[in-house]
Amino acid sequence: MTDRSVICGLGYWLPDRVVTNTELCERLDVSEDWIEARTGISRRRWVEPGEATSDLAVEAGRAALKSAGGGPVDAVVLATTTPDHRCPATAPDVAARLGLSGVAAFDVSAVCTGFVYGLATAAGFIAAGLAERVLLIAAEAFSTLLDPDDRTTWPIFGDGAGAVVLRRGRADEPGAIGPLVLGSDGDRSELITVKAGGSRLPFRAPVPDDGSQYFQMRGREVFRQSVERMSAAATEALQAAGWQLGDVDRLVTHQANARVSAALATRLGLRRDAPTQNIAEVGNTAAASIPVLLAQAVLNGTLEPGHRVLLAAFGGGLTWGATTLTWPELEVHDT
Amino acid sequence: MFELLKLVMVEVLLLDVDRVRPDASREDAGLDSLAVVELSMVLSQRHGIEITDDELLELDTVAQIVALMEQRKRTAAA
Repeated sequence: MTDRSVICGLGYWLPDRVVTNTELCERLDVSEDWIEARTGISRRRWVEPGEATSDLAVEAGRAALKSAGGGPVDAVVLATTTPDHRCPATAPDVAARLGLSGVAAFDVSAVCTGFVYGLATAAGFIAAGLAERVLLIAAEAFSTLLDPDDRTTWPIFGDGAGAVVLRRGRADEPGAIGPLVLGSDGDRSELITVKAGGSRLPFRAPVPDDGSQYFQMRGREVFRQSVERMSAAATEALQAAGWQLGDVDRLVTHQANARVSAALATRLGLRRDAPTQNIAEVGNTAAASIPVLLAQAVLNGTLEPGHRVLLAAFGGGLTWGATTLTWPELEVHDT
Repeated sequence: MFELLKLVMVEVLLLDVDRVRPDASREDAGLDSLAVVELSMVLSQRHGIEITDDELLELDTVAQIVALMEQRKRTAAA
């Protein structure tokens, strides 16, 4: 039987600062009701000035390592679109601060699909014999990219980090990551962007006054693509695992927006309230979304050992990914 | 066709049945800019009626949406 990667530790971390809809509405010309109806979000956590993605990543990574009972780690993979700096990647710093200096460490950039792309990366390292154990962290501080006057993004994103430890194991073990489905559509790369600060619009060139320095998203088209791509990827992941939809106990998807989760459930033929969710309290934490949700679901009893879980994510690129797993026994520590 | 739209809006999108009346404005009936995307997807996928969310956003009332649905259904059947 081919080796698979198996989740053996899980942790998460949220920054302290809670941001309510009331606070956002002081500047943004919308009501709290509008934010709730449109997104399902009541509160989100934001980093304070000077607090960065690596700070969240280190805490989540530490929590995942504790959950795994310590032990060696051969690679640190950090899924993020909000690295501390343009250069270098943030993973080596995070690894060093976790006492893991020396191992392979790099960032994976796939926006909100980052955690699933990260699972594939870790699985690849293990399958190739490059690692016996991988620490995969997904950490984001999207609040640092947002335009305070953009009602399509300002209320939506929250900051946070989640992490898993993956070890070599067998496909029939609880926690084994099932066949992974990944995809991209670069023809639609303009839908989800931070245009400035890269090689196309470098810092020394004048930044156009069109929000290029901010995170921008074409809401309606992204909504449609999210539902269609996650639905297709989830269906493919089920087929690859030999599961029927009725076998799924928990649908755990990237928490983009409560409306997306409901529409996706409907598209798959599930009840609209079927998806596991925590977006009301943490917002859209981009790549961190899935591992933070997994950790909180374990802590509140929603996710139990033996549950058959369908994971699906969608993000900028465009990118998407899905997989299945049976949830293992894991101790998750609250923050 | 109004009954079909009402069924989709109430049973699938879980909008408030009391707000789905032919004379209701699109927004009052619960069809904000995200709901029209979902409505467009459901009409296409489940009922073979093709209307884009851009087109739906240009309509003001539920009755106008019904009229466009009827028009598209006739075109599809032809």
